[in-house]
Amino acid sequence: MRLEKCWFCSSTVYPGHGIQFVRNDAKIFRFCRSKCHKNFKMKRNPRKVKWTKAYRRVHGKDMTQDSTFEFERKRNRPERYDRNLAVDVLKAIPKIDKIRVSREERHHKNRMKGNKAKVQKEAEKEYEQSIHMVKAPSSLQQEKIKVKVSQQQSEENPLMEE
Amino acid sequence: MAASFASRCSRAGRSLFGGLSNSSPGLFTTTHEMTCSNYLFQVTQQRNFIQMRTVLKVVDNSGAKKVMCIHALKGKKGARLGDMIKASVKEAHPNGKVKKGSTVFAVVVRAAMPKGRCDGSEVKFDDNAVVLVDKQGQPIGTRVFGPVPHELRQKKHVKILTLAGHIA
Repeated sequence: MRLEKCWFCSSTVYPGHGIQFVRNDAKIFRFCRSKCHKNFKMKRNPRKVKWTKAYRRVHGKDMTQDSTFEFERKRNRPERYDRNLAVDVLKAIPKIDKIRVSREERHHKNRMKGNKAKVQKEAEKEYEQSIHMVKAPSSLQQEKIKVKVSQQQSEENPLMEE
Repeated sequence: MAASFASRCSRAGRSLFGGLSNSSPGLFTTTHEMTCSNYLFQVTQQRNFIQMRTVLKVVDNSGAKKVMCIHALKGKKGARLGDMIKASVKEAHPNGKVKKGSTVFAVVVRAAMPKGRCDGSEVKFDDNAVVLVDKQGQPIGTRVFGPVPHELRQKKHVKILTLAGHIA
C-alpha cells in the first residue's frame, strides 16, 4: 500500500479517497478531494494558490530542506520484511515526528524574528499620523447635535386615479 | 372628454409600469442564467455513459480510426470503463483489417466519465477510446496505444493489458 501525494496541495491521499485523472500521455494526477480537483480543472497553478504546500515552499514559508524529510521519501524498491526492523520503525516514528515539529517551530520563529519590531514601528507611525482623528470624550459632550426635522409632502398623481 | 383622457393616460401608465415590472426580472434572470452556464462550462462538464451514437477513438492498429457505439452489451444506461460494446466503423485506414461500415465488438479502455475503483477512489481519462476485439474478447490488432486501466484484468481482458504500454 502506498500513500500518494495530492498533485495540487501535496497532502497525503489515503486509500479510497479522492479521484485520479489519467492524461493521454499516461501522466497520473491524483487529488485528495474535490476542492483540489476543481482547482485543477480551473487550470490554477498550485504555486500561485496560497493554501497549497507548493506556494508555501516557493515563498519560504515552510521548512524545505531537512533530514527528517528523508524518511518520507518515495522509494521504488520494496523493502524485505523483517520483524525487528518493523518494530524499530514503529518506535522511531513518534521520535522523528517530534524532532520535525520542533524544527518547524524553530523555522517559524526564525522567520518571524523581525516581525515584532516591524509591527511596533508601523503602529507608532499610524499613531503619529492620525492622532488628529481622535477627540477627547469631554469635547464630544460639549457639542450638541441638532437634527432638522422637515415634513415630507406626499406627492399625488391625479392622473393615476381613475 | 376629460374622463376619456384620464382613462387613456391611466392605461398608458399601467402599460408602462407593466413593461417595467416584466422587463426587470427578465433582465435579472438572463444575467443569472448566463453566469450559471459560464460557471458550469468552466468547472463541471457533464460526462455521460457510452451509449448508442457515442463516437469513440480506436487506439489499436486494427485499421479503424473512429467507431460509433450502436449497442452496449451490458448495463441499462450504457457502457462504462472496461465494458464491451458493439460498434460500427465510421472511419478506417484504406488497407486495414477492418473496413468502414462493418460492425465490430470493442472494449472501452478509456472513458472520460469517472469510474469507481475497488478501494472507493475514482479514475477518469481524457477521452473515450476503445480497442477492437472479436466476439470471444481477443483483440483484433497487435498493438494498444496510450494508458489503459488495470481493471481490465478483472474483466478478463489480460491480452489488452499485456499489449498496452502504460497501465494506470
